[in-house]
Amino acid sequence: MTHSVPNAGPVSSGQESSVQESSQKDSLVKTPVVVCRGVKRIYQQDSVPVHALRGVDLEIQEGEFVSLAGPSGSGKSTLLNSIGGLDGFDAGTVTVGGTDLGALNSAELAELRLHKIGFVFQAYNLIPVLSAQENVEFILQLQGVPSQQRRERATEALASLGLGDLAHRRPGELSGGQQQRVATARAIVTKPVLLLADEPTANLDSKTTSELLEVLQQLNQQQGMTIVTATHDPIVMGFTSRQVAMLDGEIHQDTGSTG
Amino acid sequence: MSTLVLLFNLSLRNILRYRRRNFFLFAAIAVAVGGTTLSNSLIRGWQVSMLETAVSGLTGHIKLQAPGFADDPSLQRAFSSDTQISLSQQIPVAGVTQRINLPAVISSERETRGVALVGVVPTQEDISLYRDLEIEGEGLTGANDGRLLIGKALAQTLQTRVGRRVVIIVQGADGKSRERGYRVSGVFDAPMRWPEKVLVFTGLDALQGTLAGDGLRDPITEISVVLSNEGDRAAAAAELAAAHPSLIVQDWRQMQPQIAEIVDMVEGVMVIWFFLIMSGLTFGLVNTLIASVMQRTQELGMLRALGMNKRLLLVQVVLECVGIMIVGVVAGLALGIVMVLALGDGIDLSAFSESVEAIGISTLLRPVLTVEDLLLFGGLSVLVGFFASYFPARRALKISPLMAMNR
Repeated sequence: MTHSVPNAGPVSSGQESSVQESSQKDSLVKTPVVVCRGVKRIYQQDSVPVHALRGVDLEIQEGEFVSLAGPSGSGKSTLLNSIGGLDGFDAGTVTVGGTDLGALNSAELAELRLHKIGFVFQAYNLIPVLSAQENVEFILQLQGVPSQQRRERATEALASLGLGDLAHRRPGELSGGQQQRVATARAIVTKPVLLLADEPTANLDSKTTSELLEVLQQLNQQQGMTIVTATHDPIVMGFTSRQVAMLDGEIHQDTGSTG
Repeated sequence: MSTLVLLFNLSLRNILRYRRRNFFLFAAIAVAVGGTTLSNSLIRGWQVSMLETAVSGLTGHIKLQAPGFADDPSLQRAFSSDTQISLSQQIPVAGVTQRINLPAVISSERETRGVALVGVVPTQEDISLYRDLEIEGEGLTGANDGRLLIGKALAQTLQTRVGRRVVIIVQGADGKSRERGYRVSGVFDAPMRWPEKVLVFTGLDALQGTLAGDGLRDPITEISVVLSNEGDRAAAAAELAAAHPSLIVQDWRQMQPQIAEIVDMVEGVMVIWFFLIMSGLTFGLVNTLIASVMQRTQELGMLRALGMNKRLLLVQVVLECVGIMIVGVVAGLALGIVMVLALGDGIDLSAFSESVEAIGISTLLRPVLTVEDLLLFGGLSVLVGFFASYFPARRALKISPLMAMNR
């Protein structure tokens, strides 16, 4: 099953031109969307320091579809959280879309997440009291998008993911796959610079997993959306253009940028 | 504004989401607010009753007497019934009455008692407790009626009844005692016991005739003024004092300072009582609201992860708490009003008449509900809701966006 993805590309005109460059497969140098330099993260667990990230260096170019893979405790989710501004880091620098996350306070990080990053969570994390349409509109409303425009964009995003008929259902009335697609619609409706997905298919069966991955692949290939997903599922890795394997808080293997 | 509508909508749906839990929460708030409304209406009723008792018990809002009469009540300290009472138009007056009010001794064939002999103009006494008397036999027909109206309790003590004769001994204007036989025209039953024991009414003109001497013609010992509004009391007293410098002008608060203190204290009692009830409720409310936030840790973390800042999260939690409180308070006020209406006839305290008279109220305690009280306690309840929301809101603010990643 495939879904046509509408014009949900990056916000800036620079990004739009970059998408065109990508589709034309020319050889111009792309802009890095994510740059991690010497990122370290240490947790205290019962007074014992746990080195979740041990100086990670990673650069993700615009339009890449990257999987962060590795066993539990490898640091893939920690790295994803640091890139998404959900968690801090103890050393190094992380820049997203040119913004140094280490220089931002909590409110500025919230603004960055709201305007530049889309999230797809393993547990879907939809607001249970809102319909699919309202869930997608919610984030636009936080951005202050006018109601008419909000409605149109949410409808378009849901339709692009094959959920046009289910727009008025609440999460409890949708299957897991449908909920994850609503969550994806919510993540892309703001046209983020970066889409982060944390184990997005972990709760889905193989058929639904494939359907969701096709959607993400289309977003990446047709719209040039930069996607980073943390996963330990080989099927997911098969859909991505670049695989980064992590082990013990370090990058163990990187297939490298395909751009 | 759009964001506020969004948060309001979200809060409303979250309230409806946990219908069962919130129903019990609403019920607890409603019962507490309703119970407080009822109890405060009874306390307010007690206050009003004390005020009415103080004013209607022959005192009025303001009383004019001759200097020294309060210390030595005799007809030698009387003044002329020609004294005119007039107040500026801004101060509406409910009524003015002239009286002779003197200590006397009443004797029947069997008993003798000290009483207050009160000469009244019955048509002027619709501003005093006189109007509420339930009379067995006949009331006084006018100021010229030379018969006596005595209380039921006094009649029992004297072992007399309607139509029988009693003797009154009272000091005349010349300082000499006058002794005269009177026929009992009626026996009255008063809302309180003390008037039945102490007060003996007769016609003012008739009493003036009995006590006449070489002094004043048509003497009186007091003028009682009842105002339409208690709030005008001080201004009216000042005007009367200026207009009648030869008389002592006192208001009921000066004449009954203990009652005045209790009336003032009631305001404080109501607020203290309200906060006692509401503080108990607040603990339960805070506990439930914190549980509600804890239950939605991942959801609230997700909102933070998506980019909702702390301020908006705070507003959302506060809106939920205050929303629950407002619904509960409105239901509680409605419940309170219904209970007050159900008690409209008042609570009969006649079984405890001696005790209730000691605190200056009538034996029928009627609840009094004012719009001001409803607004005050409704508003204070919502403020309590704001206060209660502080703790769950503080908890919500500690939720990290990372909580959204919990699986």
